[in-house]
Amino acid sequence: MTRWWPIYGLKKKLTEQKEYVSPVGLTKPKTRIFNRSLFVYVIDVGSSNALNFEISALESPQYNIHRFGIFMTDSPRHADVLLILGRPVTQMLGPLKETIAQLPEPFYTITIDDHPDQPGLNDYPELPHHMAALTGIPSPSEILGLLLDIAKTKRMKS
Amino acid sequence: MKTLFIIALLFFVAGTVSSGKNKTSYIFAFLGSAAAFLMGCFSLTSSAVLWRFELVQNISLSLYVDHLSAVFLIIATISWMALALYSVDYSQLYPKKRLPLGFNLSLLGMMLILTAHDGITLLAGWEIMTIFAFLMMQGTGKYFEHSYRFLAFGELSTISLVIGFAALYVTAGSISFDALHKGSLFVLVLLTLGFVIKMDIVPFHGWMQNIYGEIPDNTAALLSAPVTLMGVYGLVRIMPLLPGSQLWDTILILLGAFSAFWGGLQAAAANKIRLLPAYSTVENNGMILTAIGFYALAKGSGLPALHYLAVFALAASLVLAISHTFSKTLLFLSIGHAKEAYNVHTIDQARGVWSGVGRIPAIGIVISALSFSAFPPLIGYAGEWMILETLFQSYRFPGVTLAFSAALAGILIALAIGLISFAMIKLIGYTALGYDHGRKSRPVPNRLMHLAEISLELLIVLGGIGLPLVIFFIGFPQLLTGLLAIPAPLVLASNQPVFGVISPTFIAIIMVVLMIIPVWIFMKNKKKTRKVKSWNGGLKLEEDEFFTAPAYSQIVEHVLRGFYHTREKKTKSRAGIQVEDILIRPTDFFTRLVQKTGDKVASTLMNGKISAYVAYILVLFITVFIIGMIVK
Amino acid sequence: MKVLTGIITSLKGEQLLVLDNGKPVLIKTGDHPEKMFGNYSILKQHPVRINDETIKGPGVFKFRYGPVTAGVREAGCFYLYTYGEKILRATIDISWKQREIAKAMQGRSPEKALALAEGVSSNFALSHSVAFSRAVEMALQQTPSLLTKNWRILFLESERIYNHLYVIYKLSSAAAQKVLAAHVSALFEKALRLNEKLTGSRYLMGINSTGRLLHAPDVAAVEQIANQYADMARQFTELYKHSLKNFNYLDRLHSAGTLSPEQAIKLGLTGPTLRACGVKDDLNDATEHLISLPVITQKEGDALARMEVRAEEIVNSCHYLVNHLRASDSWYDAKEKENIPQQAEGTGYAVVNSPSGALGYYVEIKENKMQRVEIFTPSYVGMHAVSHALEGLIFTDFPFAFESFGVHFADAAI
Repeated sequence: MTRWWPIYGLKKKLTEQKEYVSPVGLTKPKTRIFNRSLFVYVIDVGSSNALNFEISALESPQYNIHRFGIFMTDSPRHADVLLILGRPVTQMLGPLKETIAQLPEPFYTITIDDHPDQPGLNDYPELPHHMAALTGIPSPSEILGLLLDIAKTKRMKS
Repeated sequence: MKTLFIIALLFFVAGTVSSGKNKTSYIFAFLGSAAAFLMGCFSLTSSAVLWRFELVQNISLSLYVDHLSAVFLIIATISWMALALYSVDYSQLYPKKRLPLGFNLSLLGMMLILTAHDGITLLAGWEIMTIFAFLMMQGTGKYFEHSYRFLAFGELSTISLVIGFAALYVTAGSISFDALHKGSLFVLVLLTLGFVIKMDIVPFHGWMQNIYGEIPDNTAALLSAPVTLMGVYGLVRIMPLLPGSQLWDTILILLGAFSAFWGGLQAAAANKIRLLPAYSTVENNGMILTAIGFYALAKGSGLPALHYLAVFALAASLVLAISHTFSKTLLFLSIGHAKEAYNVHTIDQARGVWSGVGRIPAIGIVISALSFSAFPPLIGYAGEWMILETLFQSYRFPGVTLAFSAALAGILIALAIGLISFAMIKLIGYTALGYDHGRKSRPVPNRLMHLAEISLELLIVLGGIGLPLVIFFIGFPQLLTGLLAIPAPLVLASNQPVFGVISPTFIAIIMVVLMIIPVWIFMKNKKKTRKVKSWNGGLKLEEDEFFTAPAYSQIVEHVLRGFYHTREKKTKSRAGIQVEDILIRPTDFFTRLVQKTGDKVASTLMNGKISAYVAYILVLFITVFIIGMIVK
Repeated sequence: MKVLTGIITSLKGEQLLVLDNGKPVLIKTGDHPEKMFGNYSILKQHPVRINDETIKGPGVFKFRYGPVTAGVREAGCFYLYTYGEKILRATIDISWKQREIAKAMQGRSPEKALALAEGVSSNFALSHSVAFSRAVEMALQQTPSLLTKNWRILFLESERIYNHLYVIYKLSSAAAQKVLAAHVSALFEKALRLNEKLTGSRYLMGINSTGRLLHAPDVAAVEQIANQYADMARQFTELYKHSLKNFNYLDRLHSAGTLSPEQAIKLGLTGPTLRACGVKDDLNDATEHLISLPVITQKEGDALARMEVRAEEIVNSCHYLVNHLRASDSWYDAKEKENIPQQAEGTGYAVVNSPSGALGYYVEIKENKMQRVEIFTPSYVGMHAVSHALEGLIFTDFPFAFESFGVHFADAAI
């Protein structure tokens, strides 16, 4: 019997309906223009790869970030939020600055420091519009909660 | 008019005589061209016999201007004037006597061609033009052995014309153009072949490959624009006067279309900065040849339904000729300007003319390249639309073969336009508007160069926007009409009742009007802008990381590898793609054959022995004696 | 077969860590090590710019992909020499992720150093952790309990499952098989959640330590977890069989990034990459499974073969987990004894079957502090393989060649 894939997928009801809570609050008041339309550019400056896997997990159907209007972009020039994974290796400080220079106003930067006590990495340089700083390896729900705090709409619960 | 002709002649002679002083010589050339231009203007409305001289019984030399000569005179002289102005500045870089000498005499030859009314004058002008153009090729003082190929093809064209006119004399008893209607098919074939060879149609384009990069700038422009225009003039003048042949017309249509396609194909793969426009000449002249062939076919069929179409086809060839002459001259002038400033040979090396050399030559490259790519509302757009539109209407021809051949020609020409757009984008993107990598360009004297470039730029734009004026100028006001909201005569119609129309004037008006509101809004809200470097993965792009011009065309070279015979050469530390213009192989073969035979004959005859020499003289003497006896 | 995993140079001379029929041994460098091991010079010189030789020619330029790109999110740079569409040579610069973790481990206690080891490449966190612990246990003459050993093996298979699912997710995304990618991605997220249920961490971090487990896995939920692994195996088999019927998908993976078995052996590859070339390796023996898992091989050595090897390994690992999770309550000790190290200094080494191949650690401990640590990752030789596999490909096949190896810059650069 040939399976009809749309029904197969829908019957599984993979997308979860729950409230996503961010571990930290936003440090600055946010603009309203990102409601239901948030484009995120992810840059890895020296993480241990767990965060990369968490971002990939964030793109899975369970979280279904597209229903909130959250998308990952391929270019910093199309981005609203720069998500910085890990603390920067010395060599990556230059590219990080270049990337930040490419973001069009208004934008926010979010940092995730996965190993705060790992030596050999630099502190973050002065980041413009630094909205939130996470530490450790947050789960995708927590990252999504933070993104939703920026992209939150009035209509949906989460 | 006669006085203007003599003034022009005197100026050219003065230019030749003063070729020691390059600047003066070119200024004389400019003045001579201006006089010829005025002569052309006056002859637009009235024709006149300039000179008549009876050589022997039944053979008289005559110079004659009428509306057709006037049109071509005006087109050609504008190109000559621009070249002369350019050469004044250019000669300061290459002050050799040969260049202005050849330039003046070549222009004189061309003027003779355009005013000739019989075979001998035409041939005289033809030869003068060819030989002095050949002389110009040596104008930078270096010796180019490949330039003999140009001379060979030029002489082949002359021979064809000579045989054609000789045959005409045999059948009609005179070689004046008035006697052409008595010509035979043989005359038709040979005369048109002579002109076609001069137009650089494939496979007669084989001389360009090795030599085009080496010759001086004004020679390259001259060989590409005015000289091929002479071939067009010959066809447009002679073909209507000769009795037609459907087969030959169809052959010309297909040959022209294939030549256009081949020119576009090779231009897409060309990486030398001079070779790309050279192949574009092949392409444009192919389109002109198709238009002329179509005109002859439509006129020769005699059907009243095809009458409008015949006129439209002729108009298409003239508009294409105008657009090609102006755009090609401008393109070569701008590229020459850039090439001299940077002193390079390939498109890849001559990048960023806009910032590295100057705005005006960059705009020149952009406008002429856009005109070739049929970008509205420039004049090239009108010309290429017209030829495609004539071929669209090929269904009106009775008989399947004719309609099918015309449709096939349409396919080839459409492909050609696509490929040439691809090639022109390469030129615009790399040479004109590319990143200059901080290359230093040497300062060249450029005031008159700029004047020439600006005038041609304006002509191309105004020619497009003022297309009705151009149609009036070439003498076909019946093609203009009005349609819906656009008043007559702003619309060019390709048939009555209306089949297809364009109106570049209207397009230009709409473009301006539609731009007003966005520009006003933009000016009102001044947004904060920030200039950033281009995004390249977080690091600065090094020069060896930039996309190269050969890489841009590599995809076409790979997909059409059958046509190009694309070969990859790869070692551990070097790699590259090689393409080949396979239609040059016959030319190469013949060159090698001639060289080998020549060497063989020379080594057998002139082997240094006195006895061989004496025997050779004796044999010749006896042969001539015998021939003389037979003829007597 | 003998595979050279790493080279240890010291004042006393040079030693080679070799995987001999699945068992790690330390031997002295012989007379002509290049003849015995094809990857000797690579490991000896250890360039961070891999395959760094310029190609020149008309129209040839260097297309730089990185270090900040959206396609390869990690910080690493590819220099692709090309004259148009074809990649002539791929130079890979892995230095953008160099964090010098091995050096940072010096002077720390084994427990603290283990946290750093888990941070080398956290998707291989458990493989690093187990390799490190075994090396330390060998150095300090510690014997972990049977419970610890068995759980470690189970966790290794968990790690293998989610890493292989990640590779297949990436490959199917690159081939624009969005439905397949979405389903595989759902399984991937499910695997990570099962990890969390089992160990409290999605990446199996913070559960293993030297000589013991830090805390016992949640045995109450074990039956449920086993059922979910069974479910996952079933769903994945269904998806996998269906995906193999899609000619578009197969066509994109077929002949992308082919490695011949000779090339693979010369580079010293291990793991699914080597097995996809048709060479049966003994890496499974390094794991000391309770019941040994079958060694899956394919013949072609292209991206499709590597994907197929991984797909079958997922199913096998799932079945292993199901069977032994259900049996795990028989390992449960009422009181978990802490295994005490017998000495405070020594030298140890270990090689573990990580999801992408052999992962080796060499440690020297003095006074209970790490004196020297050498880490030999499968991603380093894997990057050399990627560089060789990319030659001759066109740009559109780049993601298939790169993703199918399952190598990571964080793991290669340490």
